[in-house]
Amino acid sequence: MQSQWERITYQDSDREKVWAKSRSFAQDVWFRFRRKPTALGGLIIIALLLIFALVGPVLSPYSYSQQDLSMANISPILNVYPAGDGVYFYLNAAQKLIQVDGSGHLVRQLEKVEENFDERWYAFSYGDEGQLVYLDFTVKPYAVKLSQYGEQIQADARLWNRTYLLGTDHLGRDILTRLMYGTRISLMVAFIAALVNMVIGILYGSLSGYIGGRADAVMMRIVDIISTIPLTLYVILIKVCLDNGMASIILALSSVYWVDMARVVRGQVLSLKQQEFVLAARTIGSSTGMIIREHLIPNAMGSVLVTVTMLIPSAIFMESFMSFIGIGIAPPMASLGTMCTDAVESLRTAPYQLLMPAVVICLIMFAFNFVGDGLRDALDPKLKK
Amino acid sequence: MAEIVLKVENLTKHFPVRGSRSRVVHAVDGVSFEIARGQTLGLVGESGCGKSTCARTIIRIYEPTAGRIELCGKDITALDQKQLKPFRRDMQMIFQDPYASLNARMTVRDIISEPLRAHGLARDAKEVDQRVNEMLASVGLSQEHARRYAHEFSGGQRQRVGIARALILNPRLVICDEPISALDVSIQAQVVNLLRSLQQKQGLTYLFIAHDLSMVRYVSDQVGVMYIGRLVEKCAADEIYAHPLHPYTQGLMGAVPVADPRLSRQKTASSIEGDLPSPIDPPQGCRFCTRCPRATQRCREEEPPFQEAAPGHYVACFHI
Repeated sequence: MQSQWERITYQDSDREKVWAKSRSFAQDVWFRFRRKPTALGGLIIIALLLIFALVGPVLSPYSYSQQDLSMANISPILNVYPAGDGVYFYLNAAQKLIQVDGSGHLVRQLEKVEENFDERWYAFSYGDEGQLVYLDFTVKPYAVKLSQYGEQIQADARLWNRTYLLGTDHLGRDILTRLMYGTRISLMVAFIAALVNMVIGILYGSLSGYIGGRADAVMMRIVDIISTIPLTLYVILIKVCLDNGMASIILALSSVYWVDMARVVRGQVLSLKQQEFVLAARTIGSSTGMIIREHLIPNAMGSVLVTVTMLIPSAIFMESFMSFIGIGIAPPMASLGTMCTDAVESLRTAPYQLLMPAVVICLIMFAFNFVGDGLRDALDPKLKK
Repeated sequence: MAEIVLKVENLTKHFPVRGSRSRVVHAVDGVSFEIARGQTLGLVGESGCGKSTCARTIIRIYEPTAGRIELCGKDITALDQKQLKPFRRDMQMIFQDPYASLNARMTVRDIISEPLRAHGLARDAKEVDQRVNEMLASVGLSQEHARRYAHEFSGGQRQRVGIARALILNPRLVICDEPISALDVSIQAQVVNLLRSLQQKQGLTYLFIAHDLSMVRYVSDQVGVMYIGRLVEKCAADEIYAHPLHPYTQGLMGAVPVADPRLSRQKTASSIEGDLPSPIDPPQGCRFCTRCPRATQRCREEEPPFQEAAPGHYVACFHI
């Protein structure tokens, strides 16, 4: 009977061989990160938002500041009055009729040719041959008729607004385009603020932790003093002293948000500098700069990344909040916060204006928080198998 | 007599106790020894007796409280870290824990070449690679290991990476701080044999710290026994196993497990009772008097001098 087992040749070099695939730290983190659906979803949403914010404005026919007052406050879904022959009318909040074609494109605002205040009607002309359409405001809701005493047309047709996909605001600016710019501003503020905070926080925290002793005590008391007052208050006070605009928002956010980062880095450095590999570097004769650069910061990077991804949504929220209360981005530049402020005024007649920027803010916050959670799990050495 | 590589005189390291100005931990208290070129001094003692502190003070991770350290005849005690840097090329350390002593974010190549980069000794990346590969070969690893990260290796392989890092500068003195106590027994022999063959090849001088007495006997020429920061006995390795003079050394030898059960039964039970006294308030007189079976009134009042009891055999005890 043939043996199922056979002897294999074995060499000394086989014992030294490392069989596992070589994986760097980043690959290892990515391997664990991608197993978490929420984290991966968050990352995809951030990528989509980036494309939306960066590529979108190029494709859009409108600019963020282009106004068309005749097309103000038009919703994304149009309730239109069908007049036959593929002609529809849309009655806007200012009692003007706008002609819409069958596919949902807005053609133009109709010209008022006659008004009669005794019998309370307006007449508008449309079409090439000067046909008239009447708006009768003796009844409520106002009636639209094709002849002065004729039958009232019911607004029973619904069309998607194809000209302004997400509608327009109170100045007739395209909301979709403004959303793209707003997202761009928010993400830009967030990334720059996060970067600045990361640099300041890492430098401050690692120096404080590595030097230790009295310098550490003084540096950390400064951090304590800064963080006893709510950061929001600081940012508002700083903003009040500065002009509106991107640069001052970033300055305001960068001047105080680094304290959390500095604390995290200091804690990491304090525990790392007692580890044997740092002692080894000192016995080797590596300089302080080399130790901080090659040993401390790379090993503290995990917690730094988690802190940054948690800092980004709060920076975005802060920017939106400041823009909302009117000390943020200067008009006419769009920001998610200014869009919300503008929308609040017409909340009753045009709720979609508030909905859109609010949804985008939520998406950004969710996405970054999910990514931060996923990163924390992926970086946690206790979960490593 | 051969050239003295390391000479330590009256080395003392006290750590301040938190929350108290006057109280200190007497981690190392007046230790003196010297090691000749190519020799190995084994330092043994219980946990907490100051062996590692002694090593770390010599290599100046800690600043000595008092005493004198001479490396190759030059006094390095008073030098600050910057002045010390050129001396670090002659004095390297191998750490206890091969998992904690290698940076997990660095490849083996970067770890081993760190001393070269720190001292600016390699002209370009090619030379670094060449030196690293030579070093890898001499510790029994291969070139393909250079690209990998430390966490991918076994404990024995990692410790050999640590050895390669310590030896790449061709130091004269290597301080081995329990280099094998974190390893499997089968790997311990491999690492110790590697250390011995490297010593023969390069004429290295070792200060070898361990608590495994049989391993110390195997690697050392001289053995020093420490107890609460003091050297209590020092002599040639074989002598200390054959004729331990200090009661503490005798107790340590009695605690060595013997493989043969018949021999084990014959062994006189001379193990040490009780715990190590606090190094914050070490006992008056002889520090071992609280646990010594032979302690007398004199031991509690007077400190025994560290003197030569037989040729080359130093001991600090009144009852010899």
